[in-house]
Amino acid sequence: MKKKFVDNLRLDWLFISVLFALIVIGITLVYSATNNPAIDWYKTYWFKQIVHFAIGLVIAILIALMPANFWKNAAIPLYILAVGALILVADSGHISKGAGRWIDIAGFRFQPSEFSKIAYLLASSLWLSKHSISLEKPQTLIFPFLLFIVPFALVLKQPNLSTALVFIAMTLAQFYWAGFRLVDLFLLCSPFMSVIFSATSELYWRLLIICVFFLSIKFKCPIWLISILLVVNIGGGYASSAAWYNMEDHQRSRILTFIDPMRDPKGEGYQVIQSQVAVGSGGIFGKGFGEGSQTNLSFLPEEHTDFIFSVLGEQFGFVGAFVVITLFFVLLLRSIMICRLHPDKFVNLVVVGACSILFFHTLVNIAMTVGLMPVTGLPLPFLSYGGSFVLTCMILVGLLMNMRLKGGEV
Amino acid sequence: MIQPQFSKPEDQQERNFKTLVFMCAVALSFTVLLLRFLQLQYTDYENNLKRAEENRIRKVNIKASRGYILDRNGIVLVRNRPSYQISLLGHRLKSNEERDSVFRRVMRITDSTGNRLLDSVATKYFFERSKWQKFKPQRLLEDASDAVIALFEERAEELPGIEILVESRRDYPFGSQGGHIFGYTSEISDKELEKPENSHYVMGDRIGKSGLEQSYEAEFRGENGFRFVEVNAYGREMGPVESMPFIKPVSGNALVTTIDWRLQQIAEESFPDSIRGAVVALNPQNGEIYAMVSRPQLDPNIFSMEKKEFHKQWARVALDSAGKPLNNRAITGTYPPASVFKLITSVAGLESNVITEHTKYKPCFGGYHFGNRYARCWRPAGHGVLNVVGALRESCDVFFYQAGLDIGSRRISAVARRFGLGTRLGLDISGEKNGLIIDEDWYRSRNRAWNQGEILNISIGQGALLVTPLQQTAMIGALAYGNGLYRPHLMKEIQSPNGTVLKKFEPEKIGDGIISESTRQIILKGLDEVVNAPHGTGRRAAVPGVRVGGKSGSAENPHGDKTHAWFAAVAPLDEPQIAVGVVMENAGGGGANAAPIVQKIIKGYFDAKNETLKN
Repeated sequence: MKKKFVDNLRLDWLFISVLFALIVIGITLVYSATNNPAIDWYKTYWFKQIVHFAIGLVIAILIALMPANFWKNAAIPLYILAVGALILVADSGHISKGAGRWIDIAGFRFQPSEFSKIAYLLASSLWLSKHSISLEKPQTLIFPFLLFIVPFALVLKQPNLSTALVFIAMTLAQFYWAGFRLVDLFLLCSPFMSVIFSATSELYWRLLIICVFFLSIKFKCPIWLISILLVVNIGGGYASSAAWYNMEDHQRSRILTFIDPMRDPKGEGYQVIQSQVAVGSGGIFGKGFGEGSQTNLSFLPEEHTDFIFSVLGEQFGFVGAFVVITLFFVLLLRSIMICRLHPDKFVNLVVVGACSILFFHTLVNIAMTVGLMPVTGLPLPFLSYGGSFVLTCMILVGLLMNMRLKGGEV
Repeated sequence: MIQPQFSKPEDQQERNFKTLVFMCAVALSFTVLLLRFLQLQYTDYENNLKRAEENRIRKVNIKASRGYILDRNGIVLVRNRPSYQISLLGHRLKSNEERDSVFRRVMRITDSTGNRLLDSVATKYFFERSKWQKFKPQRLLEDASDAVIALFEERAEELPGIEILVESRRDYPFGSQGGHIFGYTSEISDKELEKPENSHYVMGDRIGKSGLEQSYEAEFRGENGFRFVEVNAYGREMGPVESMPFIKPVSGNALVTTIDWRLQQIAEESFPDSIRGAVVALNPQNGEIYAMVSRPQLDPNIFSMEKKEFHKQWARVALDSAGKPLNNRAITGTYPPASVFKLITSVAGLESNVITEHTKYKPCFGGYHFGNRYARCWRPAGHGVLNVVGALRESCDVFFYQAGLDIGSRRISAVARRFGLGTRLGLDISGEKNGLIIDEDWYRSRNRAWNQGEILNISIGQGALLVTPLQQTAMIGALAYGNGLYRPHLMKEIQSPNGTVLKKFEPEKIGDGIISESTRQIILKGLDEVVNAPHGTGRRAAVPGVRVGGKSGSAENPHGDKTHAWFAAVAPLDEPQIAVGVVMENAGGGGANAAPIVQKIIKGYFDAKNETLKN
């Protein structure tokens, strides 16, 4: 027993080195993006970011050191607390940037949607670790769906589309781990794809429906499921295309601009274009630390938060982007490896959920800075400036460490 | 490695597989990202770098200062003045609330009489436009006066975003004097901008639209300089770009005109404001124009004024359909040459030997019977028997009716053309009219019946004949000089901004204008007697100590009862240095009304000359 404890304490030093490398790079980039000698050092973004990480690190260590079953037990109370906070913020949230998302507690601004991610992660891990789910037995999906829909709807209503998308990504990953096949995930997502494709490309929509039909037959879905899938896909598609063509021009244009910002280069597309110019003008080796007109002359919007990766691309070029993306890859690899260590389903689900949150953020953010995805406002883990999000990431790191250290004892 | 506790071996396999799937998804999407980075940073690198540079570097034009216009003695006639524009810079306003509050404060500013300085509709429009044209100054108030600037400067603290910008505007210190010579500038129109020769202009530049401003635009313009500045995303200039050149503007060249400002002023002041007409004074020996006046007057300063004031003044100018102040009557006004044309008839007769100095015709009893027509002489009492000199002196119509019939219309028109009548003289400002010289051939070429009686009109300069004041003056000068007709011109030389002479106008003979010495002497005698003999019609043009010669005229015209008063003169007769022509619309007789103006100009010319000789 004693030996196992010592074994468990053996930290993943590679994970920790990569994590610190990312944090240092992030603070460096925030410094470079916001450097203003006129401001006292203790008021600067980079210093505040150091403080955020210091606090985050302490919290991460505390979380990591919690006893083996602590997070299993805390899941339900945390979930209730998070939903309560979301309801509170829906009523009387601090209005910032037009969306009610904040709660002030003792002078600190607190974003319930960030913490609801973690609470939902724990709660759904707990449920899925104890119950098996299957698309063919819809009754098994009722409770997980309820767990998902309550915080999801509240976050979506804020409106905070990007965080809501994180909920979906995490849920899909966990469902996969809990027993869904890849084809199940596809069938589950197919109605949403129908809604999008039917309005944009009729050909793709028809191909999609053919795929749904053949896949569901090949994987021997029951006849009632096939019928529901087809009805929902076709009905959803027609409803969506009807809605699309009945839309006012400006509504349609807003949606199209969200999907393809280049349609509006002076407005929505401005950020993406400037970001791509910044990244592209960095070339292979970049313009050098602190150099770069796009960042220094403020052509790059939100350069220290959502578009921090463009700062990296401009100053350190492809080499910099390659290094940081590799670091993220190693970080995710070392995290998901925890699943291979411990057989416990709760541990596995928490790790998968945490990894999918980090991965989704990373992918969507970087893809956005190079114009591959719409601008959703998802920050980049460990690099983007911002207190709430740093805390979320460090809590996830703490949970991952906790699962690694204590996962064997559950 | 920590030894995992296996519950079931296949469970471990399943976990390994799902972990692998997860990592494959991560690896795949990161690869896509890296490929995209390669595309942006390697394939499109040049393009992106160029766009980043274009973002950060702005080319700022530095307008060249427009060249001055000077008189022949160096007096500055046209220059530039600073003009203050009260402008709104949208990017200085941080929020819509601030924009609204600045708007309200600006609208509250009133002048000493309590009137609002700004028009609320226009100003609202500029404030709205400043939202999206953030970096372009919106001109709220153009060409503001010192008092208005003071009002805004006092409130500078509470008016963020409001800036007073300086522009250079054309200034004509003598007001309307010489206005028709100088012409005016105004903002270049979209149509003009499209022309390839105007590629150096940008929107908002001012360009010469008439007069010397137009003719010598290329000289005045100079070359705009430019510099490159680094700007940030909000358009604020961060400083010069070291690696990029700074090109200084090159000021436009100065135009030294042939104008003698003293004579111009004498002409301006002696010509009554209420009468339409023109004055031209020139040097017959080389075509240099000393003075040129046109009435009604035009003050080119109105084109430099702020829009509201300009529109007010412009309406006054544009709506005067009878006066047409924009026209330079010295070159665009066409009048019957009247009795001044008798000089041409005389020359035609003498040169063709149809008449001699001693030729006499039937006496004048106040009129002449031709066929069933009775053509009157201007003096109902008649002039009796006169030779050509006497007929010129007293301007006897009856003598010239008879002489004209003998000479024939072709000979008269040929001499008229030789002395520059009937075609443009090629003055270096635009707008010149041809006038009209007619003869039998002219009628035939238009398939109209020629009536011999028309010669009666032609020989005394009435009827269909038309000349411009400039042509009339050049004609009398060339007649008296006897050595050719020179192209009248206003440009004496072009000087670079530091005073070196770049170009000089070389006198250009445009008609040989040579007549036999005997003819010339007879004409000179006639001109002399008009002014200096007891019965001369132009005695009011006499200048003590100078031998002035001239010819009066009173042009009958369909507009109004009174005749147009003509007087054209040269001095000194032996070797003419100055020729002056005056026409006054509907003023009556030329000798009574126009001759005194001529007298003043010629006297002014010789007074100044004697003064310089004394010094």
